[in-house]
Amino acid sequence: MTKRLPWVIKYRPKRVEEVVNQDKAKQALIPWIEAWASGRKPAKRAALLYGPPGVGKTSLVEAIAREYGFQLVELNASDYRRDVDIKRIVGSAARKRPLYGRSLIILLDEIDGIAPREDAGGLKALLEVIRDTENPIVMTANDPWKEQLRPLRDSVLLVEFKQLATGHIVRLLERICKAERLYCEKEALKYIAERSMGDVRAAVNDLEAVAEGYGKVTLSLAKVLVRGRDKSIDLWRTLNSIYYAKYAWQAKKAVTSSEEDYETLLAWLNDNTYKKYREPEDLYRAYDALARASLFLSRAKYKGHWSMLSYVFDLMGPGVAFARVKGQVARERFSYPERIKLMAQLRQVRETREALAGKLAERILASKATVKREVIPFLTAIFRNSRDPTMPARIALGYNMTREEVKLLAGARAEEILKAAERIRKARPEEERESGEEQAVKEARQVKPTGLDAFLGLGPRGGGGPSRGSRSSRSTRRGRRRGRS
Amino acid sequence: MSSAFDVLWVEKYRPRSLKEIVNQEDIVKRLTKFVEERNMPHLLFAGPAGTGKTTAAHALARDLYGDSYRQFVLELNASDERGINVIREKVKEFARSRTPPGIPFKIIILDEADNMTSDAQQALRRLMELYSASTRFILIANYPSKIIDPIQSRCAFFRFQPLRKEDVVERLRFIADNEGVEYEDDALETIYEISEGDMRKAINILQSAAALGRVTVDSVFKVVGMARPREVRDMLKAALDGEFEAARTMLRRIMIEYGLSGEDIVRQIHKEIFGNELKMPEEQRVLIADYLGEIHYRLVEGSDDDIQLTAFLAWLTVLGRHAS
Repeated sequence: MTKRLPWVIKYRPKRVEEVVNQDKAKQALIPWIEAWASGRKPAKRAALLYGPPGVGKTSLVEAIAREYGFQLVELNASDYRRDVDIKRIVGSAARKRPLYGRSLIILLDEIDGIAPREDAGGLKALLEVIRDTENPIVMTANDPWKEQLRPLRDSVLLVEFKQLATGHIVRLLERICKAERLYCEKEALKYIAERSMGDVRAAVNDLEAVAEGYGKVTLSLAKVLVRGRDKSIDLWRTLNSIYYAKYAWQAKKAVTSSEEDYETLLAWLNDNTYKKYREPEDLYRAYDALARASLFLSRAKYKGHWSMLSYVFDLMGPGVAFARVKGQVARERFSYPERIKLMAQLRQVRETREALAGKLAERILASKATVKREVIPFLTAIFRNSRDPTMPARIALGYNMTREEVKLLAGARAEEILKAAERIRKARPEEERESGEEQAVKEARQVKPTGLDAFLGLGPRGGGGPSRGSRSSRSTRRGRRRGRS
Repeated sequence: MSSAFDVLWVEKYRPRSLKEIVNQEDIVKRLTKFVEERNMPHLLFAGPAGTGKTTAAHALARDLYGDSYRQFVLELNASDERGINVIREKVKEFARSRTPPGIPFKIIILDEADNMTSDAQQALRRLMELYSASTRFILIANYPSKIIDPIQSRCAFFRFQPLRKEDVVERLRFIADNEGVEYEDDALETIYEISEGDMRKAINILQSAAALGRVTVDSVFKVVGMARPREVRDMLKAALDGEFEAARTMLRRIMIEYGLSGEDIVRQIHKEIFGNELKMPEEQRVLIADYLGEIHYRLVEGSDDDIQLTAFLAWLTVLGRHAS
């Protein structure tokens, strides 16, 4: 008797081409694996695949391993989180040298399960393992923008996986129906696919559940059987109850009975309301209500007036529900809020801007606030619009700007300016550099010695945005030294 | 010109010594006296931005202590320091450090002092008394009326006047000639008009315009427009044209690409509303400013900038629709 495999395993993509709609991810990941396969170790020793659940992250790694002849060692990160475990188990796999036969890919699933405080040692250990690994390490995460993953983000290849469209999932379900010789209504498959919110694994499991119980898949059966399975479904329900509420109490109850906290709910409403409402007036009323909800929330949070929370709920629920006066609720899919990703990106640029402002403030003798308000805008104009890239390049050198700082000022022109700076730097031998600087920078140099290395991200102060390759190879060397002593 | 490095001209052409400060003759005369006597009281420099207050403070210190003056000077900026306690600690530390040879005091420059609350200023006053044996304060402020009386009465007061047109244009001409920049005379006057006597702004405009090539009246206006991200204007236009979704996408891009905070963006929007690039009925500008003020206040209260600005854009969409 053959063992019956769950369909999620049975119909898992076997080949790279069977992983649908992830061409970008493939383009990023495959050359990296090919580098390992050919014996050249890439600068980044680990890759982090991220995206919503069930879009093919693990499947793609498995398919690649199969096609490129790697042996896959799967470790669930949430099982090995203490630093000793990571060092012992992951570390020993990482150090295994491929003598003959197949080399290894180490797969660490659910890396975002690492908790910020309790597992801090584990993350540090993991970073050390990555630095010294002899084999490619591939990690997966749903949300890579968590604060605690920040050091990790900097030292790995980040590969994004797109959420799947309903159409992709329907086609896959159809293929399974055919292979299983199952009677399936197209409407039912669509229903299942929609409810899965882009999660293939969830859709296949639902399909199997309906088929197993009734031997056929019809829309009415699917509607009975397919229910919410995780918190995104809870959110989906909450949002629908708000958008379609007939009475104010319904909308309010939807908010207060949701398992999500109000900030998450606000983020979801903020990112989905404009898709559901189409009339500008409705939209205005809805966003005004959200803005006021956020205002009451800040009064509750920062001033300690917790009794204000009730108004947050009023405005988020009924406020949004009854903003719709004219239009219908549009039939659009809900999407995950981009907010978390946005905040992580924002924090990074703001830090860069702050660092640049500090650097300039010291030299121009003005406050950072003044520099941000009055100097950075003109520098931005120079960097983005100057006729000749050498002018901004020379200024970049004059202030020891990091790569990130140049990017912030120059936007799309950053590479051009960085190259120009590199040319200038190479063309000028040491002594000429001195004379060139003398004019005005002398005074500033007493305060902060100018080091070209810092500009290239090699110096001790270049932490803001060094080229990644150079940093990781440097830390690798350092790690080796420590290992020997 | 052949140097590999360059710095901002505001830094490069800042007067290093009191002698180099061409305008503000009366002030320079009085300050030079302190240098000759090697003694001075606490000073309060007041006046609009870009009139040379900070420059004069540094020049004075350099003339007193020589080129390595910075070791005898503590520079603080009230808008950057986190509260009076941080300032107190730094002053305490600094008062204990080495004293300069031949001069019995060190200097503490406190910039943007008018940004301090009156409670913090009271604490500052006590600090000034406590360490008066070994230190002198130079307080710098845009609005002297915001400095509490007990501090004003302890300081020699210097009022910096807005720079005269001739002074600014002359300085711009000197810099342009020295840098080998081609320019129209009218362009330099235009820069003065736009900068309203603020030398820092004037020099920044000159340098940005020079980056585009020959400095003309046109290029000056162009560069002043560029210094405000175009995207803010585009975002407002999109919203007023009823393209809410596009405007919302632009909002996020601006936040990420320029690293601007909600308040920064509010300020940019405010400039655009009363700028001439954005066409709309005049009474609408007032309406928008009113609503923007409300949004600004909410941000100050700590409300979420993304949500507040999104609501603002949704409101603009409706406003634009009613106008058309």
